[in-house]
Amino acid sequence: MNNSSRSYKAQRVIDRMDKKLNRQMLTSLLACVHCGMCTDACHYVLANPGDPTYAPSYKADQIRKFFKRHYDWTGRVLPWWVKAKSLYTDEELEELKDTVFGKCTNCRRCTLNCPMGVDYATFNRMARGLLVSVGIMPEGVAVVSKDQWEIGNQMGVLKEDYIDTLEWLSDELEEEFGDPRARIPIDLENANIVYSINPREVKYDPRTISDAARIFYLAGESWTMPSEGWDMTNFGLFSGDDDLGGAVGRRLFEKVSELGGKKLVISECGHGYRSTRCEAQNWAGWDVDFEMESSVITMLRYISEGRITVDKSKNQSPVTFHDSCNNARSCGLTEEPRQLLNLVVEDFREMYPNRAENYCCTGGGGAMSMSEYTPRRLKSAKIKADQLKATGAEYVCTSCHNCVDGLTDLIRHYKLGMKVTQLVNLVAEALVVPEVVAVPSVEIPEVAAAGVLAGHSVLVVDDEPDFVVYVSTLLEDNGAAVHRAFSGEEALRLAAEHQPDLITLDISMPGMSGQEVFERLREDKSLREVPICIITGQPELRKLIYDRPHRAPEGFLSKPIDEEQLILNVRKVLKIPHEKESPKTESSEAKKGV
Amino acid sequence: MSELLHFSEHTLQEAALLFMGAVYVTRLYWITRRKAGRERQAPTGTGSLDPKGSIVYSWANVAMPWSMESTRRKWFLYVQFVAFHLGVVAAIGLSFVIPYGPGILETPGVVPVLQIVIGAAFLVGVGRIIRRIASKYMRAISSPDDYFSLVLLTAWFAFAFLAVPNDTSGGEWPLLTFFLLTAFFLVYVPFSKISHYLYYPFTRYYLGKTLGRRGVYPVRKARQHAG
Repeated sequence: MNNSSRSYKAQRVIDRMDKKLNRQMLTSLLACVHCGMCTDACHYVLANPGDPTYAPSYKADQIRKFFKRHYDWTGRVLPWWVKAKSLYTDEELEELKDTVFGKCTNCRRCTLNCPMGVDYATFNRMARGLLVSVGIMPEGVAVVSKDQWEIGNQMGVLKEDYIDTLEWLSDELEEEFGDPRARIPIDLENANIVYSINPREVKYDPRTISDAARIFYLAGESWTMPSEGWDMTNFGLFSGDDDLGGAVGRRLFEKVSELGGKKLVISECGHGYRSTRCEAQNWAGWDVDFEMESSVITMLRYISEGRITVDKSKNQSPVTFHDSCNNARSCGLTEEPRQLLNLVVEDFREMYPNRAENYCCTGGGGAMSMSEYTPRRLKSAKIKADQLKATGAEYVCTSCHNCVDGLTDLIRHYKLGMKVTQLVNLVAEALVVPEVVAVPSVEIPEVAAAGVLAGHSVLVVDDEPDFVVYVSTLLEDNGAAVHRAFSGEEALRLAAEHQPDLITLDISMPGMSGQEVFERLREDKSLREVPICIITGQPELRKLIYDRPHRAPEGFLSKPIDEEQLILNVRKVLKIPHEKESPKTESSEAKKGV
Repeated sequence: MSELLHFSEHTLQEAALLFMGAVYVTRLYWITRRKAGRERQAPTGTGSLDPKGSIVYSWANVAMPWSMESTRRKWFLYVQFVAFHLGVVAAIGLSFVIPYGPGILETPGVVPVLQIVIGAAFLVGVGRIIRRIASKYMRAISSPDDYFSLVLLTAWFAFAFLAVPNDTSGGEWPLLTFFLLTAFFLVYVPFSKISHYLYYPFTRYYLGKTLGRRGVYPVRKARQHAG
């Protein structure tokens, strides 16, 4: 071996591997007998028949080969005999990146099917960490990791936006229950429960927060949400960066300790639950002195203790359940969701296989942030799509936000016509509100008939005509006056002409890019206060916007988007409370639920 | 018995065994010098076994084909696995019985039983060679060591089958070849994939410990219907 012919990055990867090799990792790397029993366990293999490069043992060998070359006796003396090969070039590192990030979601299904007990998912994560340490990773992983390091949460939600959202939701709850106590307590000290969430809930799905708040309120729980250190997700799990994993975990644990919280409750997120509950203490070297549990267990306990009452007849439609890989294969959280589902839905249908044998949603392992692998991901999603279709259910419920996104994407791609929901939504729908809680009768405001966005004008900017039409229609259906621009130049002209209340802006456009439009708008005295919501199909490009020395955009959405996401975000940006919403959401449709 | 056969059955085997033992001791020392990852988190999951129970479950996993989807679905491969490894045990046993307890082979029924077990393992070995060559997936993951180890074992079964009667009346070559192959094995195994049994207790121990603590072990079988 000639070290001088090896690239600096390759050398660093090899040097750093030694530190990663604990006893579990070492024996997992040594033990494979190439029996092939794991092959059919992988959804990538099943969706790509005839391509052995997706086989777990083949992928594992791409890592194992340089391990063998440097650590295994035979590999060091007779490398060709055991297919040992060192890493020399940056191109080889890129190939490795393609395997460990683009062909595996670390779902651990192969691990559970390996007769030898080889934990491929764990050393695949190790390999990701080695690559990340030399800056080789998908762009999306870099962006999200940077946000989690710098801003403290993986979606770059600013503190003021987070607090604004909680306040907005609190106003709604207070209004709904007619009770000033029905608010989301922020930084309450010595609460029984500190509730941590996924930033996706703030950005795209605030209903999950308000549903959880309803449940806590009706259960009479002493609870709080921290103003900082509230993100229970952890990109360190996906990137293999133990330092990031430890830092994120510490941020959360420190806040719970500071508030004197007795229990940390983790909202429904597979990787968040696994990271926070099972891994972060190991990464951070921290033994926590408080309890942690999934909100699924909390909700189940409230029902069994009679603290909340549910009526399953409120959820009539057939529902199936998708087990998140991290919950099922790394945390044993398989029975509680089912117990809860049987309590809150009339027609629960198992998909098969299930529990620890379930197939990945294909969005796990950070795959949703790696847009370069989207076609590959969607192709492999055929296995999941078939599983979903076979249930005949209208709704698929999952206890994971990553799975929500992964499933939504594949349902759209394979045109399954199913809807995705979470347990917190179903429990909230099934809640029986006791009489002692005064729920105000719903008056229909005049404005409601015209739509929730009535009186607001929105400029929609995107170079894809279909997308402009789609978004415009959704906004118009909700009462907004819409102006359409198909280029950056047209956007600036229409913005100056109409002074809209909100601009939705694509980043990647031919000619004047969204980045330039954004800068010009922020620099224009008459337009700089107009809120901007970025809607892009390339979330990895958002640093082009967020790294500008201007006020950050008020909203951010990744394509594809659906109506609920869009309207929720527009309402949030425009600070439109629920009272303007049409009565169907208040009384019938939302309550009818699934 | 010729001097060469006596040497092969005794001195050569003992030297090879000593060599293998020394290599394994060094290997185990190398493994145990590495720190074991620590699990700080409180146990989770419902119905999880105690840590010891989970580890025993994990070790026993290989004998519970119903516990893994892969062995449930590919039951024929599992049967082959059992036959193959029974043959290994029988042939290893034979390498001790012939030099140190040949009387055992005179017990009625022992020779045919051993020949059936070892013969079945030989047939499985042939089948495995064919599978490894014929399957695109298997070829992609196979190294020269994989092919060589399999061919070597299969040939060893063949000579073990012939050596079982411990009868030199037809010539010593089956016995001699069996013992020479055995000695070669003992020297070669620590450097090949055949030494996987050395790592199995470790991988399974740690997987059992981790997945037991997290309530994943014992794996609940996927049910077809809700309820």
